[in-house]
Amino acid sequence: MAEVKSMFREVLPKQGQLSVEDVTTMVLCKPKLLPLKSLTLEKLEKMQQAAQDTIRKQEMAEKEKQQITH
Amino acid sequence: MGREMEPLLLAWSYFRRRKFQLCADLCTQMLEKSPYDQEPDPELPVSQAAWILKARALTEMVYVDEIDVYQEGIAEMMLDENAIAQVPRPGTSLKLPGTNQTGGPSQAVRPVTQAGRPITGFLRPSTQSGRPGTMEQAIRTPRTAYTARPITSSSGRFVRLGTASMLTNPDGPFINLSRLNLTKYAQKPKLAKALFEYIFHHENDVKTALDLAALSTEHSQYKDWWWKVQIGKCYYRLGMYREAEKQFKSALKQQEMVDTFLYLAKVYISLDQPVTALNLFKQGLDKFPGEVTLLCGIARIYEEMNDMSSAAEYYKEVLKQDNTHVEAIACIGSNHFYSDQPEIALRFYRRLLQMGVYNCQLFNNLGLCCFYAQQYDMTLTSFERALSLAENEEEIADVWYNLGHVAVGIGDMNLAHQCFRLALVNNNNHAEAYNNLAVLEMRKGHLEQARALLQTASSLAPHLYEPHFNFATVSDKIGDLQRSYVAAKKSEAAFPDHVDTQHLIKQLKQHFAML
Repeated sequence: MAEVKSMFREVLPKQGQLSVEDVTTMVLCKPKLLPLKSLTLEKLEKMQQAAQDTIRKQEMAEKEKQQITH
Repeated sequence: MGREMEPLLLAWSYFRRRKFQLCADLCTQMLEKSPYDQEPDPELPVSQAAWILKARALTEMVYVDEIDVYQEGIAEMMLDENAIAQVPRPGTSLKLPGTNQTGGPSQAVRPVTQAGRPITGFLRPSTQSGRPGTMEQAIRTPRTAYTARPITSSSGRFVRLGTASMLTNPDGPFINLSRLNLTKYAQKPKLAKALFEYIFHHENDVKTALDLAALSTEHSQYKDWWWKVQIGKCYYRLGMYREAEKQFKSALKQQEMVDTFLYLAKVYISLDQPVTALNLFKQGLDKFPGEVTLLCGIARIYEEMNDMSSAAEYYKEVLKQDNTHVEAIACIGSNHFYSDQPEIALRFYRRLLQMGVYNCQLFNNLGLCCFYAQQYDMTLTSFERALSLAENEEEIADVWYNLGHVAVGIGDMNLAHQCFRLALVNNNNHAEAYNNLAVLEMRKGHLEQARALLQTASSLAPHLYEPHFNFATVSDKIGDLQRSYVAAKKSEAAFPDHVDTQHLIKQLKQHFAML
């Protein structure tokens, strides 16, 4: 251990300039807080979903009907 | 139960208890029994009452507060000729975000939306309608999690809802609008108001609604402010902002109402005159001191103009008046989070939890705040709950994305890798996840994969500076200076104040000069 210590001695400059090379690193995108939804927006989305569902159901029902008649 | 209740009373009771479908069904039965042909018979008051009640019930089913409704189609945005100045001075327009960034954290800390605004803590129907610069961007901007932007606002969400309700009704619509004798109804003010709301909200036939309103206001000899406001609403929906402004102003002269102030401010915001809207709100506050909706309106405008410190001030003012205002709490919370005070943000989000808000977004935010405030015990449980409460894949993707950050924070790169991958599985267009994955790949030394991921990220979200900058750095390292320069220029366009980008461009210019 003692030998190693003698081999590598730390050097702390007491005077003069200390320069550090600035390495550009890649950046991560930042964590994202999710915005809360307003009541109006929630209601709109719910209504839209419901409307789409009813239309889809109806279309399915009509298709089935057509298949039966054919 | 023995004897049955009087049907009209029962229907009323349903209406008051907000069981609108039951109420409407009962009214339909009553109207079938009594002689009824399209319009109520004045001789039969009961059937008339049932008719109004049904119209009101149907309206209530699809009613949304018109003040919050703000929808812009692609046509309105790109062909907007209402804005007065095409090249407005800084600080006088909502179109140029970032021109007067005061007080808010920079883009390096707080992510931005596609329109270049810092992401907000609260989502309203209008929050996402920031005006994009190019047609391509306009088409790509999602309006909500579900749907793309409509071509024009007259083909938008409301019309689609209207068609759906018509399709589901086998006997056709309740009232056949083209057969209505509007003049007759305009003479019966009580009936006309219910009918107007039905036409406006349920049928979304703004032109007929406008006709009825015009006749009614004439009948009331222009003395009823309510009709003026309704005409203004119709004009607004039709995109005739200046006419709408006149109507609202005239209504305000007759009777000062908070609603009217809000509608008028909405007109000014559509005309891209935030300063006028601010002045109007302040006038309104003189008349109605401490009115929460007015204060909140001011805060929203400041937020849209990127003046975060003023916005926070007004949100605080809102909370002084109403300490359960979800929007104000959420916005202040996110503000604190992005200005490096996660502990305080955590308090605000905990307050929301106490108030009974219980959804994916809130738990995700709580998880992030806990992690950055070094309360590690709560972090993972919050995220777990957020995942279990998520309603669609986009939300799940966002939660996994944030979990990836936690993993990066604790140095578990494998977990982080998996988290970002999972985010991408749930939402294939998650640009931020692509970028972060690329950074992780670079650390492993997988250069080609990283480049491919970065290219995907930058094509998905050209408004983010990170993918451009990373691509520039990577290209610079392998000596592809031309591509590096192009990417760095894009990064500079997305975030002009980014020091590292400027540095890189300077270096590259030196290289080119030497050649």
